[in-house]
Amino acid sequence: MSDVVMAEIRKDYLYHLVLKGERADGRVFDEYRDIDVETGPIRKADGSARVRLGKTQVMVGVKIQPGEPFSDTPNKGVIITNAELVPLASPNFEPGPPNEFGIELARVVDRGVRESGAIDLEALCITPGEKVWIVFIDVHILDDCGNLMDASSLGAIAALMTAKVPAAQYNLGEDYPLPVKDVPVATTAVEFGGATIFDPDTDEESVADTKLTVITTADGSVCGMQKSGPGFISQDHIYRIVDIACERAREIREKFLEV
Amino acid sequence: MDHKDRNVVVPGDQLSDDPKKAGEGTYVKDGRVRSLLYGMASSYKDKVRVIPLAGKYVPSPGDTVIGTVQDIVFSNWIININSPYEGLLHISELPRKIEMNEMSKYLRIGSSVMARVKDVDSTMKVELTINDRRLGILTRGRVAEISPTRVPRLIGKGGSMINMLKKELNCNLFVGQNGRIWVDGNDDDMDLALKTILIIEKEAHTTGLTDRIMEFLRSEKEARS
Amino acid sequence: MIGMEDKVSFFKDGLRLDGRRPDELRPIKMEVGVLARADGSCYMEMGDNRVIAAVYGPREVHPRHLQEATRAIVRYRYNMASFSVEERKRPGPDRRSYEVSKVSREALEPVILTSYFPKSVVDIFVEVLQADAGTRTAGINAASVALADAGIPMKSLISSCAAGKVDGEIVLDPMKIEDNLGEADVPIAMTPGGDITLLQMDGRLTPEEFRRALELAKTGCQQIYEIQRKVLIDRYSSISGSECSDEASALAEEEI
Repeated sequence: MSDVVMAEIRKDYLYHLVLKGERADGRVFDEYRDIDVETGPIRKADGSARVRLGKTQVMVGVKIQPGEPFSDTPNKGVIITNAELVPLASPNFEPGPPNEFGIELARVVDRGVRESGAIDLEALCITPGEKVWIVFIDVHILDDCGNLMDASSLGAIAALMTAKVPAAQYNLGEDYPLPVKDVPVATTAVEFGGATIFDPDTDEESVADTKLTVITTADGSVCGMQKSGPGFISQDHIYRIVDIACERAREIREKFLEV
Repeated sequence: MDHKDRNVVVPGDQLSDDPKKAGEGTYVKDGRVRSLLYGMASSYKDKVRVIPLAGKYVPSPGDTVIGTVQDIVFSNWIININSPYEGLLHISELPRKIEMNEMSKYLRIGSSVMARVKDVDSTMKVELTINDRRLGILTRGRVAEISPTRVPRLIGKGGSMINMLKKELNCNLFVGQNGRIWVDGNDDDMDLALKTILIIEKEAHTTGLTDRIMEFLRSEKEARS
Repeated sequence: MIGMEDKVSFFKDGLRLDGRRPDELRPIKMEVGVLARADGSCYMEMGDNRVIAAVYGPREVHPRHLQEATRAIVRYRYNMASFSVEERKRPGPDRRSYEVSKVSREALEPVILTSYFPKSVVDIFVEVLQADAGTRTAGINAASVALADAGIPMKSLISSCAAGKVDGEIVLDPMKIEDNLGEADVPIAMTPGGDITLLQMDGRLTPEEFRRALELAKTGCQQIYEIQRKVLIDRYSSISGSECSDEASALAEEEI
C-alpha cells in the first residue's frame, strides 16, 4: 500500500504545463478548486462540518465535555485536536495510529485554532483548578484528493463556529453557542518547476517536494505556518504565499463562513 | 423474472431459467442463471452474459498494456499495469540485447512502456514483452487512464470507434487493455483527444455514442477554426 | 436491564417513541460512488446512523505473507469516528470493533467470488460518522453496495437488519434507546434468497420470540435489499435515461 511511482511522462506533462502557466485541471496557479462547506451534518456531535475541496472530502467533529484542566493552566479550558487518516480515504493510508503526516496535520490545524485565539480558553473555565470544558476537534479524512490541510482547517473552524457547549446535560446551565473570537483559515501552496501552485491536487502534491501552509486570522495577521517536504523554498516565494494567503483566506471567510 | 436484454443488473439478478444459456459474468444455481456482476445484461447468440460496469484489469496473454516501471530486480523490470498483478519485463524480452548493468540506463524507474502480455501462469506471474516493432518505450505524449471495462467501447465493434477517433483526432492513439491510452500529437490535439476519451468512458453504456462523438468532434474542430 | 425507578414506556397508542410501528424500518438514504479514491463506495443513513463504506480491490496484499495462492483474501475494518457517539471516543479500534469487523467480514465473504483473484485482497472499510444502534447492519448494507460499485464479482448482494424486544414486544430495527433499555437484540444479514450470513443475539428471548424476531428481521432485510438494488440501478438510468442498443453490444462482442 505504498505510493505508486508516478510515470515520468506524467511528471513531464505537469512541468510542461507549469512552464506555460497552466495546470492539468485548467486552474491558474493561485486558484482554488470548488469548495462546499456543510455545517452540522453530525447532529450528535456538539459541532460538525463536512468540507469538499475539489474532490477532497473531510469531516470534522467537535465534542465538548467537562474535564480537568492542565495543572499549569488551572483556569483555562483545553483544546485537543486529532486527525485520522483512515484507510478508506486513500490507497496510501494504512490502518493504525496516526503516522507523522497525520500528527503534523492535527498539530497544524490545532495551531491555527489556538494561536489565533479563536477559542477563549479562559471562558471555558467552569471551576478554577477543578473543572473546565475540553474541546475535542476530530478531523476524519474521507477522500484524499490533495490539500488535506486547508480542507481540515476549514472544517475545524466551520465546526467550531456552529458548535454549542452542551451545558444542560451536565447540569451546568443552558446550552450556549461556543464563543469563537477569530476565524483562522489555512492556505497551502506547493513549489515545482519554479512556480508556486496553490491548493494542490494529488498529482501536484506528488510532484512537488516543498509545501508551505500559512494560516491567517480575520484581520489579516499570520498566526501559523508550516513548511513541509524535503525541498527548498526561497524568501520571495514565502512572502508571495503570505500575501496570497491573506487574500484567499478573506475570500473563503466571506463566501463560506459568513464572516 | 428474467431481465430484459441490456438492462443494468446487480449481482444475484436472475437472467434466465435455462442453464445452457449461462455466459460470461453469470453463474448457475438451482437451474437458474444469475448475474455475478454489477453490469449490463446482454443476449448474444444463444448465451446471456453480463458486461461489467466496473472492475479491475486482470492480464490475459496477448493483451497490449501500458505500464510504468516501479522497480528493477535482478533481470526483471517490475511494471505497474494498473492491475492487482504487476507485470514482469525480463531483460531477454527487449528488441535488442543489453547487459544486466545497463538495465537502468535502458529503461529506468518511472519510465512508461507499451508492452504485450506474453504469459500469465497459475501463480499469476505476468510476463511482458516489448520485443515487437509496435511496442516499446514511451518518451513523449500523454497517458489517460479509464476504467478497463470501458476499453471495448472505446475500440468499438470491429474497431469502429477507435478508427474514427484516429481519423478525426490529429493524434497517434494506442489503447491498452488495462485502461491506459497513449496519445501523441500537439498540445491542443492531445487535449481534445483526452477530453473525448473521458466522454466515451462516462457514456460507454448509452445509445448512439459513436454518432454523438463524431458530432462532438466536428463542432470542436469548427469552434477552433 | 430496566430498573424499577426508571421505567420508560416505549409505546404510545401502539407506536414507538419515534412514531414507528413495531414492524417499520427507520428512514433510509443511500448514495453510491461517493468517493473518488476508493474503487467502490457507498454512503448510508439508517435512522440517525451515518456510515460510509469503501472498497479497495482486488489489489496487491501487503504484507505479502498474508496472500493466498488460489484466492483473494477479504479484509473488513469497521471503525467509529471519535465524534460518532455520545461521549467522545478515543480513536482506534477496541475489542467491540474487532468483533464487529470479524462478523461483518464473515457476513459478506460467502458471496464474494474470491477464486477469481488469487494472491490479492479485497479491502472493505466502514467508517461510522454517527451512531444510533444498528451501525454494524448499516455498515454491511453500505459495504455490499460498495462491493458492487467496485465491480467485485458476487453471487448476490447482502442485506442486514436487526430486530429487538422492547416492553415485551418484538420490534424491527431498534434505535438506540430501544437497544440500550430493551430486552434483546438480534442483528442478521442475509442473501435475497434467505440464506443467513450474519446472526448474533443478546438479551433474553424464548425460542418462539426468537423465531418471530428472526422472521421480522428478514422482512427488514428484504426491504433494504430493494433499496440497495434501486440505488445501483438508478445510477446508470439517470445518465443514459434508456436501455442500450447495438452500440452497447460492442461492449460484449469486441474481441481484440
